[in-house]
Amino acid sequence: MTILTEAVARLLLAPSLMVAAAILIKGYVDVGDGFAAAVVVSLAIALQYLAFGARRAEQELPVLRFAPQTAIVGLLVALSSGFFAVISGGAPFTHEPSVGARVVRIGRLELMTAVSFDFGIFLLIAGALVALIHHLAEPPELEPDLEEDAEAAR
Amino acid sequence: MPQQTSPPARVATRDPLAWAVALVALGAFAGCIALWRTGGGTIDVSWARELDLRLHFSFDGIGALYGLLATGIGAAVFAYATAYVPLHLDHQARPARDRWRFWPWMALFMLSMVGLATAQDLILLFVLFDVTAVCSYFLIAFDRQERASRLAALMALLVTGGGAVAMLIGAVILYADHGTFSIPELASLLRTQDEAGGIATGTTVAIGLIAAAALIKSAQVPLHFWLPRAMAAPTPVSAYLHSAAMVAAGVLVIGRVFQLVEVAPVVQDGMLAIGLLSIAVGGALSLTRDGFKQVLAYSTISQYGYVVMLYGIGGRDGATAAAFYVVAHAIAKSALFLTAGTVTMAAGCRRLSTVGGLARELPVLAVASALAAATLSALPLTIGFFKDELFFRAAAEHSTLLGVVSVLAAGLTFAYTWRFWGGIFLGERRVGGAADDAAAAAKPLAPVPALLTAPIAVLAVLAVLGGIVVGPFAELASDAAGATLGHDVQLQLAYHLDARETWMAALAWLLGGLLLATPKAWGPAARALSRAGERFGPSHVYELSLSAVNRWSDRLHDVEVRDLRSRVAAVLLPGGILVALGFAATPTAGVFQIGSIDGTDLLVVALLALVAIAAGVVAFTHQHIAIVLALAVVGLGLATVYALLGAPDVALVAMLVETVVTLVFLAIVAYAPRGERPSRRELAGVASEPQRRHTHSRRWRDPLIGVVAGAAAFLVIWGALSRPTPAERVVDELVRLTPAAHGRDVVTVILADFRGLDTMVEVTVIGVAVFGVIALLRRGRTW
Repeated sequence: MTILTEAVARLLLAPSLMVAAAILIKGYVDVGDGFAAAVVVSLAIALQYLAFGARRAEQELPVLRFAPQTAIVGLLVALSSGFFAVISGGAPFTHEPSVGARVVRIGRLELMTAVSFDFGIFLLIAGALVALIHHLAEPPELEPDLEEDAEAAR
Repeated sequence: MPQQTSPPARVATRDPLAWAVALVALGAFAGCIALWRTGGGTIDVSWARELDLRLHFSFDGIGALYGLLATGIGAAVFAYATAYVPLHLDHQARPARDRWRFWPWMALFMLSMVGLATAQDLILLFVLFDVTAVCSYFLIAFDRQERASRLAALMALLVTGGGAVAMLIGAVILYADHGTFSIPELASLLRTQDEAGGIATGTTVAIGLIAAAALIKSAQVPLHFWLPRAMAAPTPVSAYLHSAAMVAAGVLVIGRVFQLVEVAPVVQDGMLAIGLLSIAVGGALSLTRDGFKQVLAYSTISQYGYVVMLYGIGGRDGATAAAFYVVAHAIAKSALFLTAGTVTMAAGCRRLSTVGGLARELPVLAVASALAAATLSALPLTIGFFKDELFFRAAAEHSTLLGVVSVLAAGLTFAYTWRFWGGIFLGERRVGGAADDAAAAAKPLAPVPALLTAPIAVLAVLAVLGGIVVGPFAELASDAAGATLGHDVQLQLAYHLDARETWMAALAWLLGGLLLATPKAWGPAARALSRAGERFGPSHVYELSLSAVNRWSDRLHDVEVRDLRSRVAAVLLPGGILVALGFAATPTAGVFQIGSIDGTDLLVVALLALVAIAAGVVAFTHQHIAIVLALAVVGLGLATVYALLGAPDVALVAMLVETVVTLVFLAIVAYAPRGERPSRRELAGVASEPQRRHTHSRRWRDPLIGVVAGAAAFLVIWGALSRPTPAERVVDELVRLTPAAHGRDVVTVILADFRGLDTMVEVTVIGVAVFGVIALLRRGRTW
């Protein structure tokens, strides 16, 4: 890739992540949600992969290594915000705090189960997509014992 | 085993993980004793109320008995394994971190057994039943580099897991008929029904299914074959699996649901028959086996046959004897298994034909395992004596015939137990059999760590102690029998030299001694049975059906993947025809209207024209890159249409997804062979004759399918858009409710709140799909 793409990729990373954060936080009052924010994040990462190549991108952003774990954590967050009510005998996806109750706010962000569920989806999709990009960036070497295993299974 | 010369001090580890698990077991054992002495306790928490599920655990007599076994035998086996596992890994030149594949599963195994012992709810029983199966799967396959281990683990999982499904079906039938999963409630309901005139056939079937699951778990004939195969596991796993977990889980379940079984006499008689059959088949095959662990495995089948038979006899005698039998057997069998492991570690061989005369070199082990063998063969001054006394009493009270059969069975037990012990410890060192064993036999014994003998000695002392002070064990068994029967039971045990049972026992020893002395007389017949079993038996059926299922799945896979387009066609063509039929049958007047076009509509029309052109490009081009780019044009054009129609949320997501999908597609194209997609002519040129005909017919087939499907979709959408449906009111309601959910963006609130469950399922599918793809590409490495 040319110097120009590299420079643009480097410049775009922080703003794209900012946009993703905005989409995620504003999701409940404006266009966008956790899913869209996660796709924006993965696009920003994909741009880094395209501009620098897999190895350099991962050297510069070692945090990418934790993408699979992020996805799993996201799944757990989403599951627990959806199903924690079941433990106490409620229906799945019971809204907490319930309708009309006071909600804790941080600025305009309101803390409730639907929002944490959305956040879990953000983590899940972002992690899964980044892991996918990582694996597609370097084609797998064909491992010979793979076929052996298939034989053995038969 | 070349590494065997390494001093045991080097590998006898201070592995904190191993000791932590062993100490947890010991602590849990102490906790179980305390709970038992103080009368137990109950936890009953509602869990998923709409499905009527409860987390209902009760530490009653059964809970005490099996809880004490799982934790007590567990503590002994785990202590043994702290020395065994490092040696085992060392012999196989495997890294020490593989112990992480052992200890957590062992701990979970123990925990699930305690849970199973105390569960009072059929669904809970099913779940924990399966947890033990999963644990055993990973533990049997601990030596996962060996094919035999993997296949044995798969077999154990499939056979016992299949049984568990039967149990679930039984539970659901009972729920449908009686409205509860709770075992105590079901027991009282069924008893009243039985007194009022008998239970329904469906209920009998359900009880039969549950009993079948338990019998499979306890490795009863004819579904016993998974157990000898499971001997591929490391010895501590086998010892635990046979004495206190997994196999014991089967009879545990029978004990738990016994009050249900009692009202279904057919099931109970079946259990009696299957128990007798298992005693005979397991015992006879045990006498033919050469490998230590194989001898013990078949003896387990036969021993649990006793317990199943006792439950088949039923009543106060049967239930008490069964509970006591389980305890005595667990102590003896775990000690014998651990003996086999120690002998293998010391002498490097696994077969009776290659050892012998080890009593001189391993005196402590010889004495300890002799005591265990004496327990299993019911000699006096061991706890085993009483297990057979109760067994004889129950059998003789039932009928004289059963009394005679029970003496024969005990004789068989005596023979295979002492054949095992004598083969290892008496006589001279033998050389022969398999080549690897022959080589090992020539070597001197390796030094054995004290921990590979001490737990066996502890178990042996316990067995003898139980033969002298039998009171606590009798109390444990009577408590368990009380929980099984639903009313209190008293059990007094003591030595009576003149009792009928003592004479029956003496007769059994005599018979066993005769069997041991005359191997030539019964050898050929037993071996013929073994050969017949291998050639025509149930394990053969299992293998046949497994390979048939594999073949089927391969064929289905071929049909599915060989031609992606025919799969798409298989959905689209019937779909299109059905829609056409629907149109022919419904009035269409006023449905297809052409509205007016003005304002931004012109832009939409232009975009749609672009999309149509791009779709045409996809159909006609042969270059991968061009296809990907044309598809991107289709997607982005549609995203713009959404934006123009006032759906910004959908437009945003569509835009983003299209971009990612295009990138991913491009990356995948890199995997494809270089150059153009082969043209039809090229395909036909290289194809064989039938394939060429295939390609030729496709020239007309594909466009036809496309036209039919496309026209159908077009008609449906046109019709739907011409007549706004009343479903819009649902949307109005959602819009109205959105502020109550603290949101202003209706689409997000629908996704994250109103339809949260749908979203959850969808993202779970995405996660599973992505990680599934990664697992296929990278063999399970997530990064």
